[in-house]
Amino acid sequence: MLKPEKMTRVVVVGTSDALDQTIENLHKLNLLHIIDYDEEEAGFKIGKPGSMAPKFSEHLVTLRSIENQLGSREEAGFDKKISAKELPSQIESTLSELEEEVLKQHNLMRSIETELKQNQDIEDTIKPLASLPLSLEDYTGYQSINVFVGFIDSNIEDEIKAETSQYELYTGEIEGKKIIAVAVAKEKEDEINKILQNDSTYVEIRPPELTGNPQAVLEEMAAAKAELTEKLANAESELVRLKQEYAEFMLASEEYLTIETQKSEAPLRFATSDHAFVVDGWVPLDKYDDFEKTIEGGAGNVYASKLEDEEVKDVPIALDNPKAVKPFELLVDTFATPKYKEIDPSLILFITFPLFYGIMLGDIGYGVLLGILSWVIMSKVKSGGLHELAIILSYSALSTIFFGIIFGEVFGFPLFNITHHEIVEGGILGIAGPNIWILQLPIHRFAEVKPLLVMTFVIGILHITLGLILGIRNVAVERGFKHAVTEKMCWLMILFGGIMAIVTAMPAILWGSVLNTQDPIFVSGIVLGIIGIILLVKGEGAIAIMEIPTLLSNIFSYARILAIGLSSAGIALAVNTICRDVLFSQGGVFIVVGILVLILGHTINLLLGIIGPGLHSLRLQYVEFFTKFYEGGGTKYDPFGFIRKYTEE
Amino acid sequence: MVAAEAAGFIALGAGIAVGLTGLGAGIGEQSIGAAAIGAMAEDPKFFGKGLLMTVIPESIVIFGLVVALILLFVF
Repeated sequence: MLKPEKMTRVVVVGTSDALDQTIENLHKLNLLHIIDYDEEEAGFKIGKPGSMAPKFSEHLVTLRSIENQLGSREEAGFDKKISAKELPSQIESTLSELEEEVLKQHNLMRSIETELKQNQDIEDTIKPLASLPLSLEDYTGYQSINVFVGFIDSNIEDEIKAETSQYELYTGEIEGKKIIAVAVAKEKEDEINKILQNDSTYVEIRPPELTGNPQAVLEEMAAAKAELTEKLANAESELVRLKQEYAEFMLASEEYLTIETQKSEAPLRFATSDHAFVVDGWVPLDKYDDFEKTIEGGAGNVYASKLEDEEVKDVPIALDNPKAVKPFELLVDTFATPKYKEIDPSLILFITFPLFYGIMLGDIGYGVLLGILSWVIMSKVKSGGLHELAIILSYSALSTIFFGIIFGEVFGFPLFNITHHEIVEGGILGIAGPNIWILQLPIHRFAEVKPLLVMTFVIGILHITLGLILGIRNVAVERGFKHAVTEKMCWLMILFGGIMAIVTAMPAILWGSVLNTQDPIFVSGIVLGIIGIILLVKGEGAIAIMEIPTLLSNIFSYARILAIGLSSAGIALAVNTICRDVLFSQGGVFIVVGILVLILGHTINLLLGIIGPGLHSLRLQYVEFFTKFYEGGGTKYDPFGFIRKYTEE
Repeated sequence: MVAAEAAGFIALGAGIAVGLTGLGAGIGEQSIGAAAIGAMAEDPKFFGKGLLMTVIPESIVIFGLVVALILLFVF
């Protein structure tokens, strides 16, 4: 918690004959974060990959190309693990067969598609010709006659007549467009062509070199098309069948091949000499004893040892948090992986993220819906980022329900009776809100804007203060306490000095009352602030004064906690008012319209309610909070090994 | 009548404060957002920083909102 897991630098040394067994053991342990050897030292070279490596990667490439051709992989309905011992022979025999079959179907599909395309082109040109009283062979193949065919709007027979008397003209009509065919003697060809080209409505058609009645040809084409489409569908369903039949095989062999490739390429990361090998890396400190026992006990002359005094540089980071906090590591990693000596803020996010989210959304109805939504996602998606986001969402839903009770809101309707401007509005429960401790429920958000605005500023000040305190700790650990004072402590002094001065001066600023400059709080605030500024200038130079206003803007930024809440409550209220006061009161068909508006309005508001509070709560963490202490830039702990999902040894 | 007019001007002022700052934030965000997406296309690890950079101008509209809220509820 709060700090990444402790790591220890480890060196594994052994003789060459124990190499394979050691790789096997390391892989099974899934503990060692290997530091790749870069041939710095004399006498050691980068190791050579295992003899099977090229074959494994070749198989893997084949397999992945098959998977690409078959479409996305489906992981559902697969719970029996396949034995890794049987897989190699299966891969040898099945893989090439499968590849051939998939390729065959694919090529078949492609050739059918090309043929269909060609058919379509011919069909498109023949279709207009069907309206002319000519056979297809009548258009071409003459020695002394040329035939022009095309769409045309105007009547040009007179123009042709003026040019020559030796012509034949046929007209037809298709889909409201006029089509003509003109047969003329070759010697008049150019003149007629000119007449046609000069007509702006003329669009030429080139008849295909086919024979027969166009209508009959079209019917033939349609029959061929139906046949081809059926063939295409057959090939497609064959591919689907292959995909289903070999789904398990493909998943299992991909896993197997990935693992084997990893293992056989592992020596590329080791330092080797003629008779020995050295592996350098990091192992979690509390797992080191197990690690040493397994490695040394497993294979011949192999020894593991800790390097205690190694300087702490480039340590891989494994975040170490309780199960409930784990999902928030996703949010931290999205920003940046922490450095080894930095505070890991996941635990703080675990508290503040749902808190801000809840205050922003604050509605029992939406909270319950969010809870159901997150539960559905959690049960459908069992792992990965989406699963973790769903867990975060479920915490946020709980917090939303909690603040929904405090604000007394159910889908924007009041839960308890509220008195606003001396008019009592009846709530769903029909009772006045209970009095818990000093809190008179409900706190109606529209009526209590001023105190809630002040509350958001207080939240902001507390959050930023926490950030600065963590910042002091981080800088003190990394560069010493003196730096911590001039880099972070000074900001804390400016913050509190400023708050003390502004709060005492507030009445004077707002209502023009006399400012008591002798007020001890005001004076000490000013002094504290000035000391802070001096320390800041000492630490970061005079230019840093430019940054002081950002402190104010950071605190104002927390006003969004109220603002987002008001807008979502406002939309809910607007939807309810439209339905209840405008639509429902008219009765009849308007009740149905009203229900539709109600459902649509609240769905949109809920979607906005997931995105808005989520992003803004996260932004407050990232921009206002993290910038006070967090740098990040660590390397993630990535142990050599693999978690088997589809195969077993 | 005078009081009603004053209330009207306060409401107008609040609206202008939120509206104009909203425009400002939008103009600021468009270029940052485009650049952030570009950076993310090169290196997906930039997502966190990109998001952070993109929402920075949003503070402007929050300031506008604070001004509006103070106008409406303090005066």
